[in-house]
Amino acid sequence: MILERAERRRPLGMTVGDYLRSLDWVLLAATLALAVFGIIMIYSATRADPGLPSSTHYVRQQGLGLGLGLVLLVLLSVIDYRRYISWQKYLYVAMILLLGLTLIIGRGPEGTRRWLDLPFFDIQSSEVAKVLLIVTLAAFLSEGIELRQRFRFVMLAVGYVLLPAALVFLEPDLGTALVFFAILMCMLLVWGIRWRHVGFLAIAAAGVFTVVFRVLPSLGMSLLKDYQIARLTVFLNPESDPTGFGYQVVQSKIAVASGMYTGKGLMQGTQTRLNFLPTHHTDFIFAVVGEELGFLGAVVLLGLFAVVVWRAIRIAGRAADLYGTLICVGVIGFIAFQVFVNVGMALGIMPVTGLPLPFMSAGASSLVVFFMAVGLLESVQVRASLGT
Amino acid sequence: MYLEPARKHRIPKDNTSIGMRLALLGLVIVVLFCVLGFRLWFLQVLSGDQYVSLADNNRVRSVSIEAPRGVIYDRNGVPLVGNRPGLSVGVLPMDLRDEENVVARLAEVLEMPLDELMEKVEKAKLDPYRVTVVAEDVPEVPTVAYLKEHSLEFPGVRVEKTSLRSYSRPAFATHVLGYVGEVSEKDLTLEEFRALKAGDKVGKDGVERTYDSFLRGSEGYREVEVDAMGRPKRVIQYQKPLPGNNIVLTIDYDLQEAAERAIQEGITRAQEDGFENAAAGVVVAMNPHNGEILAMASYPDYDLSVWVGGMSKADMEQLTAEEAKFPFLNRAIKGQYPPGSTFKPFVAAGALNNNLVQWDTRIFCGPTFRIGEQVWRDWKEEGHGEVNLVEALMVSADVYFYTLAEMFYDQNYPMLQEEVRRFGFGRVTGIDLPGEDVGRVPDKDWKSIVGKTAEERIWRPGDEVNLSIGQGYMLSTPLQLVVALSAIANGGKVIVPHVAKQITDSSGNVINKLEPVVRQELDIAFEDLSRIQWGLHLVTSEVGGTARAAFKGFPIEVAGKTGTAEKKPEDDYAWFFGYAPVDDPEIVVVALVEQGGHGSSVAAPMVRRVMEAYFGVEAGELSGIQITE
Repeated sequence: MILERAERRRPLGMTVGDYLRSLDWVLLAATLALAVFGIIMIYSATRADPGLPSSTHYVRQQGLGLGLGLVLLVLLSVIDYRRYISWQKYLYVAMILLLGLTLIIGRGPEGTRRWLDLPFFDIQSSEVAKVLLIVTLAAFLSEGIELRQRFRFVMLAVGYVLLPAALVFLEPDLGTALVFFAILMCMLLVWGIRWRHVGFLAIAAAGVFTVVFRVLPSLGMSLLKDYQIARLTVFLNPESDPTGFGYQVVQSKIAVASGMYTGKGLMQGTQTRLNFLPTHHTDFIFAVVGEELGFLGAVVLLGLFAVVVWRAIRIAGRAADLYGTLICVGVIGFIAFQVFVNVGMALGIMPVTGLPLPFMSAGASSLVVFFMAVGLLESVQVRASLGT
Repeated sequence: MYLEPARKHRIPKDNTSIGMRLALLGLVIVVLFCVLGFRLWFLQVLSGDQYVSLADNNRVRSVSIEAPRGVIYDRNGVPLVGNRPGLSVGVLPMDLRDEENVVARLAEVLEMPLDELMEKVEKAKLDPYRVTVVAEDVPEVPTVAYLKEHSLEFPGVRVEKTSLRSYSRPAFATHVLGYVGEVSEKDLTLEEFRALKAGDKVGKDGVERTYDSFLRGSEGYREVEVDAMGRPKRVIQYQKPLPGNNIVLTIDYDLQEAAERAIQEGITRAQEDGFENAAAGVVVAMNPHNGEILAMASYPDYDLSVWVGGMSKADMEQLTAEEAKFPFLNRAIKGQYPPGSTFKPFVAAGALNNNLVQWDTRIFCGPTFRIGEQVWRDWKEEGHGEVNLVEALMVSADVYFYTLAEMFYDQNYPMLQEEVRRFGFGRVTGIDLPGEDVGRVPDKDWKSIVGKTAEERIWRPGDEVNLSIGQGYMLSTPLQLVVALSAIANGGKVIVPHVAKQITDSSGNVINKLEPVVRQELDIAFEDLSRIQWGLHLVTSEVGGTARAAFKGFPIEVAGKTGTAEKKPEDDYAWFFGYAPVDDPEIVVVALVEQGGHGSSVAAPMVRRVMEAYFGVEAGELSGIQITE
């Protein structure tokens, strides 16, 4: 009875003061700093772009994304993440439907199908799917914790990710499909996958790789389009095609490296300002940081990401349950993978996949989803520190 | 109830390794971040400098601005060559995208054959960061207007303002002035063109070539920041070009005009005389004291503006066709001809100088002259009778000189050759124009080298006989004759002729003045020279003088010599040279009409015309001159 009364007084199971005290403020500060950093860089990069309705066009969009993201962050951190366990199946089905619908009625550049047109804004469904996948896969794995010894269960988990990944791949959005597998791999690792199962998966992956890149093309069928293969491989030697597929990589490397120690100064990057660096506000925002703020700015940026990852691992370790831990690990995999792939791309050591830099790249969908992911982290953090 | 799901998903007690696995995940991420950090350090700290220059190459375009060439004036300040603004189209290879397409379209727009343009683009690629001009003097409408309107469709194609040569008058003083063109690969290896790069323009001939380093000036440049589409955003640096220095020539505009007109008149007269092959001629006028060339005309000539913007194939074909008679050739310094009887004064001077004869040594000049089996005829069928050396010059008595040749042949060294070489035959005069030819004074050594058979390698008395009347193997340029005659007129100074008088900077200050140069003082007795001068004076003044008719009524006393040179199988070449006034020579003039027939009736009137213009004498009636030689 006492409990019931308490429940009535505290519908969320805690007071506002408890909530505020138990939040991870360092994590919040780091993510906010990244978002603001991103907005500054977007302004610097797009201020003089030709053909924009105003010089703050992207900045305003990003600001809206930041506002919406903060609302969703608070909302998700207040909701007890453990409720999602019972919603797992519905959420998974909703995710598949969303991706499937996008494939049918979605829009995107050059005949791709990536966005859903909603009345007030477009939504990039593969971004939303990332959060849904983290929540559902973590539930799936933590429920099957007793079946860790069974390779069949591991295969089931792979299949659980393969379906949405395949849908995203068909959009086509190879980068996001790879993010799904990164999330899966991180979760399996912490979940406690047996090492020999890892070996099996590695062999299977190698097999799939061989089929996709060697066997099928030799039979005249190709899952990957030529431009995808070209983009995936040109980073190894971008100078071989400096005006074609290698152009972005060559220009990005020039931008970053010409920044030297302290950069050319905000809004002074010649590669950015004069449009030698394409998609400078989205995929190659890191190159703008490298060019205008130099080694120092880039290291500070990577440092902020390191803080985010550190706080996320800390929360994962303190989580009240395996589900919470796995959610955190999924978020870590999500963020760390995109940081590594995006920055690696800007530095010419990773293929060009079009993955945005978390919290930084212009694009409201992506920004909102990263804040939702942080909301999940905070939710786990709040429950752990309240001990509920 | 509420806590149940949490309990269900509590971390299993057996799984103590979860912390370890989290740490492993963290470690993997740390390693990945370290890879990024290391890569950043490598790019930004270790290789930054090199990439800064790559970034600058992206954005900075340096465009050179041609310096306007100096103006060329006549001796009185009349501009002969100046500049006019023009537009040129160039390519900047590093900005060229979709090259095949762009070049094909550009060729269409410029109305240029595609392979010609492609060749130029390939050359331009040797220096990808610089604009190389592919078409000059492109019309504003419609070509440039079209290119500017569609500039985004022609990446790497630039329109630049240039200054182009403009000529005050078409086909005037063509060979003295010369022309300007793109520097050739061969020229680029020369020391004098070391500062230039492919595509730069240099003087190719005439004064433009000789004084190129003065006329050229130094180019300026503009450094512009461009965006990725190649659109200029702002000027980073600007260096104004320094215009070239101006050249003031020794050429007199009016006299040059008279000289060119005289050739036309001479050719017409030759054709009226029945010499239908007459089509080319030369007139050169010089001050015998300081070597200033007052007029130098060579015909056929052509309008120099055909070179501006690059000569079209059609023009080139037309000008190099055989019927065009080699208009590029400056016959005054590159035409090598048998001088004929104009050579006689120098033979006479040599004979007097060596006391082979005295001025009054009389020799019987019949209609023929014989050495062994060989017979030479005098130009006058009945011969001249007994004449002395002065009279022999006056009437151009061939036999007198054949007789001298026999005496020269009997010397133990090539006396005649050495004598005439001192007048400048057989070597360049040293004029400040490129490509001068040396002519030829044949002698024993020369023949022993060029002869094909043993027979042909022997220097025979007949060779000496031919040489004595400027025939046989003897060759001279018209300018060599002017210089040699000047030495007789000025008392024995072999002078270096020149066409440039002074060099002035763009504000008109004289920075260089060309002083007369005496190359050699002839060691000939004053008396001997004055006998020759006397003989040459009689040519125009005494009854029987070969050019008396041509100078009839001319108020100023003229000394000169006719020549009718044989060049089988062609028709005879008509020569005359002379100087005036006899007492104090101011001007030496030579005239030649190739295959023009007789010196007396064709070439001598030409010289008279030039002298009329020089002394401001009203033109005399010259029709129906009796042919004497």
